[in-house]
Amino acid sequence: MLLPRFEYHQPASLDEAVEVLGQYAGEAAVLAGGTDLLVNMKHQAMAPSHLVSLAGVEGLDQASADGGRVTVGPLMSAAVLAQSEFIAANAGALALGAAVLGSPQVRTRATVGGNVCNARPAADMSVPLLALGARAVLTGPDGQRQVDLEEFFVGPGQTVRAPGELLSALEMDAPAPGTGWGYQKLGLRKALEISLVNVAAALSLEDDGKTIKAARVALGAVAPTPILAPGAAEVLVGQAAGGDVFKAAGQKAAADAKPIDDHRGSAWYRREMVAVLTARALNQAWARAQGQ
Amino acid sequence: MEKIRIELTVNGKQHDLLVAPNRTLAQTLREDLRLTGTKQGCEVGDCGSCTVLLDDVPVNSCLVLAVQAAGRRVTTIEGLAQGNELHPIQEAMIQHGAIQCGFCTPGMILSAKALLDRNPDPDAGEIKDALSGNLCRCTGYQKIVEAVQDAAAKMGRD
Repeated sequence: MLLPRFEYHQPASLDEAVEVLGQYAGEAAVLAGGTDLLVNMKHQAMAPSHLVSLAGVEGLDQASADGGRVTVGPLMSAAVLAQSEFIAANAGALALGAAVLGSPQVRTRATVGGNVCNARPAADMSVPLLALGARAVLTGPDGQRQVDLEEFFVGPGQTVRAPGELLSALEMDAPAPGTGWGYQKLGLRKALEISLVNVAAALSLEDDGKTIKAARVALGAVAPTPILAPGAAEVLVGQAAGGDVFKAAGQKAAADAKPIDDHRGSAWYRREMVAVLTARALNQAWARAQGQ
Repeated sequence: MEKIRIELTVNGKQHDLLVAPNRTLAQTLREDLRLTGTKQGCEVGDCGSCTVLLDDVPVNSCLVLAVQAAGRRVTTIEGLAQGNELHPIQEAMIQHGAIQCGFCTPGMILSAKALLDRNPDPDAGEIKDALSGNLCRCTGYQKIVEAVQDAAAKMGRD
């Protein structure tokens, strides 16, 4: 299977990357890990005449914390994110999702920025990022703008990113003390799988170690984009954490889901599984929030 | 389509190459360098036959452009044996009958090598996880997992 022809650009800075991208906007694609882009090009689903590789831009593959804000570089690979102690402590849901994406060989290449920009409804890193309340930092010819991730995704494969813009960072608030995360992926096999349903949860407890202070539940593969389940978060906040309230949140999440029937599973089954997986993800998050 | 000059270190040997940007690392290894031990199966990153180590981590070489590997170190199956002496994983694969048609074997062995280089004493679950991106369509995986366990034990003793 041959790749179509294209011109290759490897800018050495973010400014230069934006410039090159602007020059060929509409005909250019951004190359990060290539595990989706090159597959789509081989399948002739895409035929960009220019590829702009980010490999030469320094600093895009680092994570940092600064003044209550956590920044994740878009070129960080799933393998690096899955093994990073910093990510496990500051954005744990992302580490959990990254660890089960694709296969070991895909994880060494696939980047978080690519996963977000490809905007697949079941994306293993996008769903956790939504639960983490992440924001996409877009850099374009007119400077930077920030978009909440729930507004970033528009439809399958579609985002608000303009052709001349680059995803230059993912940002989120640093986790409050007593925060834990869960991620549950349901597929028919353990590797190289696109989820039938995936659920990410973030849970923060009050100082008493029991009362839920804040919660976010994100769902994958049950709508045209990864979505939040606001109904689930609503029933959780102010309640004592535990099985019953998690079950109730699962029911609310199932109501928030908008699944369809497809070759991976029926809408009915997906909705049932949203309830089950949400309760499991919350239990997992609760255990971690208590420091277990 | 302008060709690009790259330097590539393959199995310890440095190569100076002129490659088209749409050439994958797998194509370059097989067709330009004649290292046909790297197999191409699905060519879209699902099967793992084309697995090579890029700076010691396993990648599907069908989904890496040759230009993306510029300046980096590549290890292919041809780089494992020392002269006439096979690598312990290669030896164990033969002894355990873990090879039938052999098409998945080079990728399987390189994924196993990447695992054993960072975790010399993995359990069966860790081996299965490490090989989960390499598909064998002949039979199953039991003998392959046993071969890697055996190789790990032998390498630990040496």
